[in-house]
Amino acid sequence: MHGVFNAKSEDEVSDFIYENYNKKNPLEIVGHNSKRIGRIIQSSHTMSLRSMSGILEYFPEELYIKVLPGTPMSEIESILKDKKQFLGFEPNDLGYIYSKKSNAGSIGGVVACNLSGPGRYKNGALRDHVLGFKAVNGSGAKIKSGGTVVKNVTGYDLSKVISGSYGTLCAITEINLKVSPIPEYEETFLINNINYTEALNIFQIALDTSLEISGACYFPHDNVTFLTLNDVKKDTSALGLRIQGPKTSVLERMQTLKKIFKDKSVIILDLYQTLIFWREVKNLEGYANTEECICKVSLPITNMRNFLKHFEQAKYKYFLDWGGNIAWCLLSNQEVLSQMRIFCLKHDGHLTVLRAKDDLRRNDEFLTNSNPNLRILSKKLKDSFDPRGILNPGKMYAGL
Amino acid sequence: MTLTLPEADATIIENKKTIVQDLKNITTNILHSDDEVKPYETDGLSVYRQTPIAVVLPETTEQVSKVLKYCHDNKIKVVPRGAGTGLSGGSIPLADCILLGMGKFNKILETDFDNRCVVAQPCVTNLAITEAVQFKNFYYAPDPSSQLACSIGGNVAENSGGVHSLKYGTTTNNLMGVEIVLMDGTILKLGGKHLDSEGYDLLGVITGSEGLLGVVTEVTVRILKKPESVRAVLIGFATIEDSGNCVADIIAKGIVPAGMEIMDKPLIIATDNYAKAGYPRDVEALLIVELDGTTSEVDTLIDKVLDIAKMNKASYNRASNSDEERLRFWKGRKAAFTACGVLAPDYICMDGSIPRNKLANVLGYINKLSKKYKLNVANCFHAGDGNLHPLIMFDSNNPVEMKKAEDFGADILKYCVKVGGVLSGEHGIGVEKRELMCEMFNDNDIQQQLNIKNAFDKKNLLNPGKVFPLLHRCAEGGRMHIHKGKDKFPDLPRF
Repeated sequence: MHGVFNAKSEDEVSDFIYENYNKKNPLEIVGHNSKRIGRIIQSSHTMSLRSMSGILEYFPEELYIKVLPGTPMSEIESILKDKKQFLGFEPNDLGYIYSKKSNAGSIGGVVACNLSGPGRYKNGALRDHVLGFKAVNGSGAKIKSGGTVVKNVTGYDLSKVISGSYGTLCAITEINLKVSPIPEYEETFLINNINYTEALNIFQIALDTSLEISGACYFPHDNVTFLTLNDVKKDTSALGLRIQGPKTSVLERMQTLKKIFKDKSVIILDLYQTLIFWREVKNLEGYANTEECICKVSLPITNMRNFLKHFEQAKYKYFLDWGGNIAWCLLSNQEVLSQMRIFCLKHDGHLTVLRAKDDLRRNDEFLTNSNPNLRILSKKLKDSFDPRGILNPGKMYAGL
Repeated sequence: MTLTLPEADATIIENKKTIVQDLKNITTNILHSDDEVKPYETDGLSVYRQTPIAVVLPETTEQVSKVLKYCHDNKIKVVPRGAGTGLSGGSIPLADCILLGMGKFNKILETDFDNRCVVAQPCVTNLAITEAVQFKNFYYAPDPSSQLACSIGGNVAENSGGVHSLKYGTTTNNLMGVEIVLMDGTILKLGGKHLDSEGYDLLGVITGSEGLLGVVTEVTVRILKKPESVRAVLIGFATIEDSGNCVADIIAKGIVPAGMEIMDKPLIIATDNYAKAGYPRDVEALLIVELDGTTSEVDTLIDKVLDIAKMNKASYNRASNSDEERLRFWKGRKAAFTACGVLAPDYICMDGSIPRNKLANVLGYINKLSKKYKLNVANCFHAGDGNLHPLIMFDSNNPVEMKKAEDFGADILKYCVKVGGVLSGEHGIGVEKRELMCEMFNDNDIQQQLNIKNAFDKKNLLNPGKVFPLLHRCAEGGRMHIHKGKDKFPDLPRF
């Protein structure tokens, strides 16, 4: 068993990959190793980017930050907070589901997994916030793409393709991220005691207004203990709508929501409670003390209704985020998981397994990808970065 | 004006008759006489012209697939074309190519309000999407100036932006899915009505790929609810520096306006003469800031912006009090290109992106170049997102001036890269800027891009001669990582 190579510079990353490219050695690339995500891979060598840590440039008025891949998320979020800025896609801190406590890992890992939280609905996904990067591809060549500006059509937009590529295309050595101002104020409109059909209707009505809802989630009654706030009732379902912006505007929009949903049982969470509520949603904190499989089901909103109906009798827990576009499911029955995957495939969606037992990670699919032509093109794309298939082989799909 | 394109294959040109006959078995919509193909000889970059051997106008995805497969099997180059409004020459034909005109793909297939998206064929215009959903107060956010004419498929190819990109993003951030046909005829669906497809983000690579990777045959875009209130302010400054500082301060205060545009004095005068927008004529720079949201939010932010403007020595300000007045503020800016057409027989519109804080610096440099080349220039600038559009005026009947204008443009873009910007914000590289790619990228970077091209189009038949330099290596050989005296990847094909 070989040890872990701790790369300290782009040159070291390049030399190490080049050496293994020549020897055709499969390599596992890790950041802080905080996420047990993706398929388990068998590699003879491991390269860690943990030591490549630090903030290279941060210009708040230019709305970007340039960082090394091993930089802890906590460090980035803290420096941004000092300047009243944040990452608009609100990356999930998956430490809760893997190690029962906060551990968001490194920015490189977050980019590799394209992790986007509740902010995704309004602000876009992580991939929309990566402005440019430097990396070393599977043959050891140092490459770069993009820049630090938001408008850029200069060559193919590789920032998109490295986001969510789980380290299978290149080892990222530098990342430029778009940052956004933290909203001045925010509140949450909480509606209790509704079923999922009503919840999806409420999403539809609320998100069709001009109120700029920036978060929309729903917890059914059997999963609401997820939320720790005292003001959130524990015996009934809860739907949260977040409104952010200048305080007067937030208060005004809350009044409008009250008028629209005047017949509902409503609680308003203040700024302090809102921050806690959405942190718990973002980080799946309620799943911290569970061991079952966690998967993300992504479907067109109209198909989510059918999904929930279809699996009404199945044994699993879920909550909805992104206005009903995704369901975070907790389940132990592998048969149900397979059925869910098939449902997603048939209904213009997909299912990603975020946490699973090791045997499942070795033997089962992690992502959904049924179309053989898409698979062929994905393989060719992988080859274009990593011609000998040495970077995290099999992490996303068996044989890729 | 001559343009170097990849060497034409004489056999293909000689076989024109057979090729046309074969393609007629796929679709009868084929134009091949000199008169018929003439209108397709150029696009929005009309200084370059070249007719193709034939123009094919398919009507279905299956026809696109069959045409591409036929061309793939017979090694015939294909140049795809949408509305032909592109400004970097991405749709300019090659002498030995089939031009694939997508003009008949002009229908909106579905307006899906429940999933807040529109499914459209690629030659539906950008504005038509908003028009199809505005009766329910929805709209499509990216709004390039050419939105009346440019096609949504072309927007995907160029990752088009517009004046509202700072807040609402460009095409890539508003695109949910596409159907594309690869050069070998494979039909693929990428993305859809769900968010964030897993697997490699091929949708992201296709967007802005300038028609080199596949032909888009269907597009799914996200639509947004119109904001409750939209207001704009006009702010005049005695110096460009003050206007740039004002923009930086607005952002530093945590305000993200829907749009921020700066025009310099020559453009203020030209657009005001043309559009009668009522702009102040005694200022050196005019900033338009548009804010949207709820009524009270917009009113609060307008006051904040006016305060920031005062601190930056604004000499003029006016906030819109009605939608008519707001649209009048924009009327001049939106007519910028047409207005410049009155000032000189020809102009070229450049398109670089720079960090916002370099605005005054870059505009100062452009003015120096204007004196050096003795050519007039007017500048408009999407200040919110750092996208600069200098309009260089010249007379194309004068070959010396034409060459000077091209050199002037190239110097501006090189400087944009030097200060930390990029070669193109929203017009793409096309043929116009391909030789400048080495200003931004080294051999490794370009090789990686070519490897991707190779993955999608192994025979390099789809829109060749665009985006990438025709040279064999970027000039600065020293940038290549040479390991122990050896070329590092001798087994890889080189461009």
